[in-house]
This record gives sequence, structure tokens and C-alpha cells, in this order.
Amino acid sequence: MVDLENLRTIAKETISREDVKYFIGWREGTYGFSVSPHFVREPAEADKLIFSPLCSNNLATYLTLAEKLPVPRGQEPDTRKVALMVKGCDSRAVVQLLVERGIEREQVVVIGCPCQGVIDTKKVEQLLGQPENVVRARWEKGKIICQLPDGEKEFIKEEVLAQKCLKCRYPNPVIYDILFGEKVEPWCQEEDFQEVKEIEGLTLQERWDYWQEKFSSCIRCYSCRNVCPLCYCEDCILDRLNPTWINRSVNISENTAFQLSRAFHLAGRCIECGECERVCPVNIPLMKLNKKLSKAVKEMFDFEPGLDPEAKPLQASYRPDDKEDFIL
Amino acid sequence: MESLKLDKDKLKDFIAALDSKKVYAPQKVGETIKFAPVNGDLEVSLDFANTTVPPKEIVFPQTETMFLFEQGGTDINLTKGGAEKVLLGVRPCDARAMSVVDNLFSWDIDDPYYLDKRKKITLVGLACLEPPLNCFCPSVGGGPASTEGLDILMTDLGDAYLFQPLTPKGEQLCQLSSELLQPAGAEDNARAEELHREAEKKITREVDIKGLAEGLPSLWKSEIWKEVAEPCLGCGICTYLCPTCHCFDIQDEMEGLDGRRCRMWDSCLFKEYTLHASGHNPRPSRRERQRNRINHKFSYFVDKFGVTACVGCGRCINLCPVNIDIVDILSKVKEAL
Amino acid sequence: MSEKFEPNIVAFLCNWCSYAGADLAGTSRIQYPANLKIIRVMCTGRVNPLFIVNAFQQGADGVLVSGCHPGDCHYMEGNYYARRRFSLIRELLEYIGIDPRRIHMSWVSASEGAKWKDVVEKVVAEAREAGPFDQFRRNKINW
Repeated sequence: MVDLENLRTIAKETISREDVKYFIGWREGTYGFSVSPHFVREPAEADKLIFSPLCSNNLATYLTLAEKLPVPRGQEPDTRKVALMVKGCDSRAVVQLLVERGIEREQVVVIGCPCQGVIDTKKVEQLLGQPENVVRARWEKGKIICQLPDGEKEFIKEEVLAQKCLKCRYPNPVIYDILFGEKVEPWCQEEDFQEVKEIEGLTLQERWDYWQEKFSSCIRCYSCRNVCPLCYCEDCILDRLNPTWINRSVNISENTAFQLSRAFHLAGRCIECGECERVCPVNIPLMKLNKKLSKAVKEMFDFEPGLDPEAKPLQASYRPDDKEDFIL
Repeated sequence: MESLKLDKDKLKDFIAALDSKKVYAPQKVGETIKFAPVNGDLEVSLDFANTTVPPKEIVFPQTETMFLFEQGGTDINLTKGGAEKVLLGVRPCDARAMSVVDNLFSWDIDDPYYLDKRKKITLVGLACLEPPLNCFCPSVGGGPASTEGLDILMTDLGDAYLFQPLTPKGEQLCQLSSELLQPAGAEDNARAEELHREAEKKITREVDIKGLAEGLPSLWKSEIWKEVAEPCLGCGICTYLCPTCHCFDIQDEMEGLDGRRCRMWDSCLFKEYTLHASGHNPRPSRRERQRNRINHKFSYFVDKFGVTACVGCGRCINLCPVNIDIVDILSKVKEAL
Repeated sequence: MSEKFEPNIVAFLCNWCSYAGADLAGTSRIQYPANLKIIRVMCTGRVNPLFIVNAFQQGADGVLVSGCHPGDCHYMEGNYYARRRFSLIRELLEYIGIDPRRIHMSWVSASEGAKWKDVVEKVVAEAREAGPFDQFRRNKINW
């Protein structure tokens, strides 16, 4: 059971600290299974905080998404810490940001929340439709319970959990200052990359047919880029007009180039929180691209990002004996 | 013209009878539901509620060539107009959206690219008898059976569709397949009206937009915008998939010595949308961008054309990854006024 | 098509080794296929994987990245970074269905004019086998 009283107390204490700017958590959304990130600036606002199987947003995104506007003359920039709640996967994003020095350790207060998996709203809406009222959900004895207008409904994990959670190996935060709740037992030891292997088993033509269909539906809203906690370049190649690496026009050529560069820029960095795939309005299976690179990184360099804050970034390091059987 | 009836199992024949025009209907393309050309082997289903991608992309494509040119030359080649199209199963909100956007593209200088496509399109609407959760069309002046912008309104009567031709264009279309359509009786019309009334009752979300157009500018410096924009990711979902959002960017593309000028959708939620060449950005943060989005729909557009640029289709609510809910924003705005 | 297909290869050569190696092949009058469009870069470490994607978009049928042997980089370690990057983009391109016979990397030093010939012959032959590339060429789509 999630002790919300305790969560709200932690939040109130944290936000009352002088060195904390704001506290980011989750709150109930406005309808059905929706949940929204919640920014707590005053202790009173902490009463809206929740932590449930519906909290899929990776809040680490907001560490780098926060806009750095010019400070008016005579004012000092606000250098206070940001407190944020992280699930296991989200915490890996924090670690990876530390590795890349996208943030500094003293800029954040990490509230680690051991997680038993979050609901994929697309899956659950297929089962139940879109309920009008806000649905609450909770974990109980390895099951997911949704409170619906006509009573509670129990689901086994496989029915409703997001794909990434079924294979989750890091349900417990790998970095935290305050731990909220008790650590849980991981339910998956080994990543088997099953989805990737399925595609690898296809012929080249079949693979292209598959991806061509997916890439063609891309509308280039860039939500996958924006939601990603690790896509935080101030000057993104996609926004650049001079030189224009990737034309703005939407067609299979530019969409493929966009998708390749998005995925590639996360090679050895993606911590597999699955946010890109969740937010995609046209349902492109982006995690199948990211996972492929994770698999390659694991096999070739025996590396997993977002675990060790002292590690060196994969593509900014090398070993003289890196595999090179492909070289002529 | 009197209303007509079409047996459901004759829908395919009806589409075939329109072979002089290109017929588009909602279809699942890949993982997305959008309007796509109907061809023989695809099963046409009108059961989808709102398509993910609105039909605006038929008249205002995401990428559209304006003219072709050659490097070093002085001639330009204007693109030719497209074919006559029929959109089957358009939801009333999306049709209304087109009549809203018509205002803009025929204001000041006529936009030949948009208007050419718009003139050649016949909109066959389908009343929403099961409106999805986040619809709020009645609040913004529409309704699940609104006829504005439509040429024909269809209503699902169970085993048949009731056709109500609304414009000469719609009547012409009915004549093309006159042998398939039978005259409808008074009881059919009454049944349809009842269904429309019931549908409207099923819509639960509502917001009162009276006074917003005049009131919004007074909230220019309000904290509301900060609150709204705080979780915003700054992506283009809500604007790209909005049936009334119509902003575009113009770019030149070269391939070898051949070039084209084209325009493509743009979004006021992108940072570079207002970025000046000098590096100055008059809308420096998502707070200003979200404020613009709401103001444009509910204030600027109303000032200019007298209509609200929101038709209540609910797409932005359904698809926003961080639950930025336009109905919720508007009710907060109303409270603050 | 009656005309024989001649693949277009875009080759990114490092200034210090492979470019000089290709030059040596030329001055030694070693004949090698003329399908290459060479782009000289200061180091293979400068080759952004987007260069490869972009080359395919703009009409390449194959791409070659060539630099100094490991340990010989003029900038000490540029080619090591390039190797990591290249191995990943190659995997990714193959995964979405791009023929790996179109994507090559080689080490050719300034003194290896003869090796350069072998590399080019192999790259051209493989691209020829793979055929014309059209999967995501720009090709005036919807102009």
C-alpha cells in the first residue's frame, strides 16, 4: 500500500526547506486514467500529490526542460534545488544526466519511489473504455486494482502494465536522497530483447516494410523528443535551419532520417523509461528502436547506461580493443 | 431536397457510384486512424469516433508544394489543382472546423492552395451518436449533429443511413447514386432527430465560453498561464492534431538544381515558431506559448472573424501526454475573470 | 534498364591517412573503380552518423568511412570514437532494413595505396550487388 500521508509529509518537509525551489510529483488528472505532473511550490499544494500505478510520466524530463530565461538586471539567478519523485526507471535518467553533467548532484533532491509497474492507458482503455470520472488505481499483492464508478476491478499485471514494466529489472530507484515506501523485489532478472529479436529474424525487405509503415505515419510533432529526459540539447538539429540536416517536410525520407537520428542520439544513453512510445500520438513503436540499440550496446560494449554516476558516457569513451570485425 | 435512406450493406455500392471523385473515409493506416483514399479491397468502417489526424490534412496537407523552380532560372512552375474529393464519415466538429478555417484562408488575400482543394471537396458528415468522453462541441456552438460546413449529414439508423442533403453539392452527390437511395419517411426523420437529441445529452464535459473573447486579454499577466504551462512539454500534438489550427511555415527545398517552395504545418508551441533572426524570442517560454494558443482560439480569432477557433473535438485533451486539458484551462480562466 | 547499374558511393576519408592513401593509389597509377565521391574530413571522428543517413537521402547507394589504423590517429583517438559510433549506426540501419552491404568502414594508411584499391573494389562490388538504393531517398517525394 502506498502511504499517501507519508508522501505528503515528505513533500511538505522538503518544500519547506530553504534550499528547495519546487517539488515535482504527480497529481490526478482531469478524466479517466489521466495523471498530470504536479509542481508543488507551497506546502498546501502537496495535498494533491499521489503515487499510483497511473503515474507513468518520467519527471526527470523537467530537470532539463525547465527554461533558463535571462535574469533581470540586479537579480540573482535562483540556484535552489529541485526536488522530484522518481520511479526506478526515472532514477536511471537522473543518473545518466549526472554522468553527462546535464545536471549537478547538488541541484536535485531525489525522492525515490520503488514501483511495481505502471499502467499502459492504451491497454486499459481497450479493456474498459474511457471512464468519465477520474480513476484511482493501486498496487495490491502483485495485482493492480482500479477504482471504477461501478466498483473495484482487479487486474493481473500482464493485462494492464506497460510493456517496459513487464521486463523491468530496476523497480527500485538506483539513486535517491529520500526513499518513499519500501523496496520491492525485482521480478525480472535478465533482459531477453524478445521484441528486437523478432524483428532481427525478418529479412531486410520485411524489416523495411515494417518500419516504412511506422515511419510514414510520423507527424513530426516531436513529442518523443520533448518528453525524453535525455533529449536536452539547447540547439537541436531538428530545429536548425542552417544547415538543414533534416528537412521540415513530412515524407518517408525525412521521417526516416528523423527517426534514425532520434534513436541514434540515444544510443548508449536511453534508460528505457518508454515515455517516447507512450506519448506518440500515432503509436510508432519507438522502444523497438531504442531497445535494438540497447541490445547492441550491451553485446558490443557490455554497457548499460544510467546505473553508475561515475561511469563515462559510452560514446565519449572507447576501448582500444572494441570489436571491429566489420572493418575492411 | 427531401432526405433519403441508404441500406448499410449498400455503402460499398454507394462509394463505387462516386467513381468520378476520389472518396476518402476514416481508416486505420498503420497504427493511426485517419482519412485515407478508399480502394476496393479495404473494408470501410464508419464506426471510428474522431480520427486521430483530423481531415484538415486533406485540404491543408502537412506538407504542400507551392511551386517548383530551377536554380539560376527566373521561372516558377505553379502546382496544379487536385481532383474532386468526397470525404465520407466526417464528424460534424471537423466539418465545422473547416468552415472556421475558411475565414482565415479567404481573408485579406485568398489562399489559392487551400481554396482550390476546399472547393473541390464534398463533405458527407456522420452524426456522432456515441460522442467520446472528451467532446464538448455544444459548449463552443456546435453539436453532435451540427450541419455547419457539411454538404450531407448522415445519421446511423441501425440498419440504414439517413441522408440529409444540405447544399447543392450534396444534392448532386445524391443524384450520382440515386438508384441506391430511397426516399426516407417522416418516421425516419423523427427517429434521427431523437437520436441527435439523445447524443447531445451524452456529452458530459462543458464549459461556458461567454465573455472569454473580451476577458482573456485582461489575464495577460495572470499566474494561470504559468500553472498551465508548467507540465507542458512544448510538443506539437495539440496544435498539429487540432482541426482548426492552421499555422504553417514556408521553406525552400533543393535537389540538385531543382527546387520547390513548400509549406508545412507549424506550431505556436515550438520555440522556433517566434524566434527572430536576431536571437530574440518574443515568446520566450512555454507560458507565453500556451497563453497564445488559448488566446488565439478564444480571443484573437473571435475578434477578427466572430467565431471561436475551437470546435470541441477533444483531440488535444485525449492526446496530450501530460493531461493539459483545455476544458479545465477555460474553467480556470472563467473563475479568474 | 539496359544500362548497367553503377553505384554511387560516398566516401568520407580522413585527411591524414585514407585520403593520402587514395592519393598514393593515384600517383602510383593503381586503377580502381571510379564510383566514389570522396569527401575529405580531418578525422573519421568528425563523421557524424547523420552524414551517412544524409548521404543515403541524397542519392548514395553505399557509404564508406575510412581512416587511420587504430593507434595511428593524428588526433590520438578520433578513430576509436568513430569506430564505436559507426558500429552502432550500422546496426541501426541494418535493423530497419538497410542492406549492410551498403555501409562500410575501413582502415587505410597513407602508405597503403594497394589496400585502398582492394577496399574500393570490395565496396563497389557489394553496393552493386545490393542494387540501387531507394528506400529513403529524397527523390522529390510528393513534389
